[in-house]
Amino acid sequence: MKILFTWLFIISLSFGGDATIEVIKKVESLPSLAVEESTSSYDDTFKLRFFKSLIADLNVISVFNVDRHYRKTDYDSSDVVVENKDMKYVLRYRIFEDDNRYFNVKMKLLKESTEVMNKSYKIKKKDFYMFISHTMAYDINEFMGEPSVAWMKRKVIFSRVVAPKKSELVISDYTLTYQHVVVKGGFNVFPKWANKEQSQFYYTSLDGAKPSLKQVDIKTGTVKSLLVSDGMMICSDVSDDSKKLLLTMAPNGQPDIYLYDVATKRSSKVTNYRGIDVNGQFINNSKIAFISNRLGYPNVFSKRLGTSEVEQMIYYGKSNAACSAHNEYIVYKARESSNAFSKNTFNLHLISTKTDFIRRLTATGINEFPRFSKDGDAILFIKNYKAQSSIGIIRLNHNKNYLFPLKYGRVQSMDW
Amino acid sequence: MKSIVLSSVVTALLVFSGCSSKNPDADGASNANAQEVEAVKTETVSSDNGIISSGSEGLSMAELEKKLTSVYFAFDKFDITSNMQNTVSTDAEVAKASASNLTVKLEGNCDEWGSDEYNFALGLKRADAVKKALVAEGVDASKITMVSFGESNPTCSDKTQACWAKNRRVDFKLLP
Repeated sequence: MKILFTWLFIISLSFGGDATIEVIKKVESLPSLAVEESTSSYDDTFKLRFFKSLIADLNVISVFNVDRHYRKTDYDSSDVVVENKDMKYVLRYRIFEDDNRYFNVKMKLLKESTEVMNKSYKIKKKDFYMFISHTMAYDINEFMGEPSVAWMKRKVIFSRVVAPKKSELVISDYTLTYQHVVVKGGFNVFPKWANKEQSQFYYTSLDGAKPSLKQVDIKTGTVKSLLVSDGMMICSDVSDDSKKLLLTMAPNGQPDIYLYDVATKRSSKVTNYRGIDVNGQFINNSKIAFISNRLGYPNVFSKRLGTSEVEQMIYYGKSNAACSAHNEYIVYKARESSNAFSKNTFNLHLISTKTDFIRRLTATGINEFPRFSKDGDAILFIKNYKAQSSIGIIRLNHNKNYLFPLKYGRVQSMDW
Repeated sequence: MKSIVLSSVVTALLVFSGCSSKNPDADGASNANAQEVEAVKTETVSSDNGIISSGSEGLSMAELEKKLTSVYFAFDKFDITSNMQNTVSTDAEVAKASASNLTVKLEGNCDEWGSDEYNFALGLKRADAVKKALVAEGVDASKITMVSFGESNPTCSDKTQACWAKNRRVDFKLLP
């Protein structure tokens, strides 16, 4: 009996931190949270928009069972709204415009009617309201002592195709609600953040005779041309320390992966296969994952840098044409229907290089552009389903996907 | 002349960083209002404005370009099919004769099934297949450049088989 328990204990330990194993948290087991608003300024449409944004963010942090009713009360009232009296937590906030016309938010978190946290926020324009709502959710998550959702405050950069051979590069918040066009005109694709601070980014310009890799400093607005290659030139990944890049280039019409040193500006060839090798992703500083058609169809492989050792990573799916890696985890896009001439289903799957488990992350439609957050806590992706495009957030440890509909345009590529 | 206008995002950037402060104050708020740096303008010469009069036979580049026919491909394939061989041969004749002093730019394209790097690579392998066929027919390899536009340059946007087939192609452009 003791041995059995010991074994069970060891097995439970070995599976403990594995994100490929589904963690089902029952909604009922989460503490309830209601949100009360007590706003005097701003019109009703805007007040509701802010409320909705806040509710969405509070849902995404996956800490509470969030009540979606829009209820109003006095900010200083000692009692919660009568409908909320059974709620474990109540978040009460007030939005107002100050004398400088700044957008202000005051909030307090009540636990069983006792104030446990309060904070104030201020921003110049009310158009940036979503950043305050993301930050409020982030702060509440921190207060609750949950694993960080710092990715909520990160920026997403994406390219949007507006016409054939015309695109724009856009910086947005993680829900793509706020959008700011940074590069307009021409045909620019595959934007990629150059550092953790998100102060610079790389992108591919396809306007010249040959594709070229450009680097933009957001603060100074300067644009540098780094490299040019015939055929293809894409920055697929940036190392954690921002010093190395994985590029896809095709100097002789042959797409291969190259390792580029930012300081010395030198690149070295990583793959040599005569077919297609693309989408290099750092697993760590010495190993990469990439997409290759060396078996006759696109699939995910890994390679230890400096060696010729190549390993097939996925043994499932007919066509696995895109991937994103974070430590031992790889998320990839698999084509799940074999019909080449009608609508196809593409789903995202997660594998761990340490176990044999595969976890399917999406169920319907075309799901693409999987991108791990920097800390690996969440995956961002695009879902196209029934003529509606949405951006999705997968909370791996909460087994939940959240979708935010996109306003317009087709996303060509994105980075988080 | 097309130009890329790089607009400033300082405001947005500071907003992102500013709102995370524990006790937002007037300073933080004024950061959000930091003045925008002057937009940097750069110019890019696109292939579209390279249309100038040239030509041994007095044909303009645009006219020559029209004589070059696109090559079409099967789904997920980058080999030239037998029924496209004549097209490639005709294109090779044009490239060797009247366009011999020009550079041929091959633009590889794909259908909408996939918008990732793999699709761009597929477009490029198509362009490369056409390049190899042209070189085999005597076209100077140094006079050929290639680019892939993935699925981002469709000629047809309907959701039909016929339409997807039109998008799996290599186009010819001429550069001086």
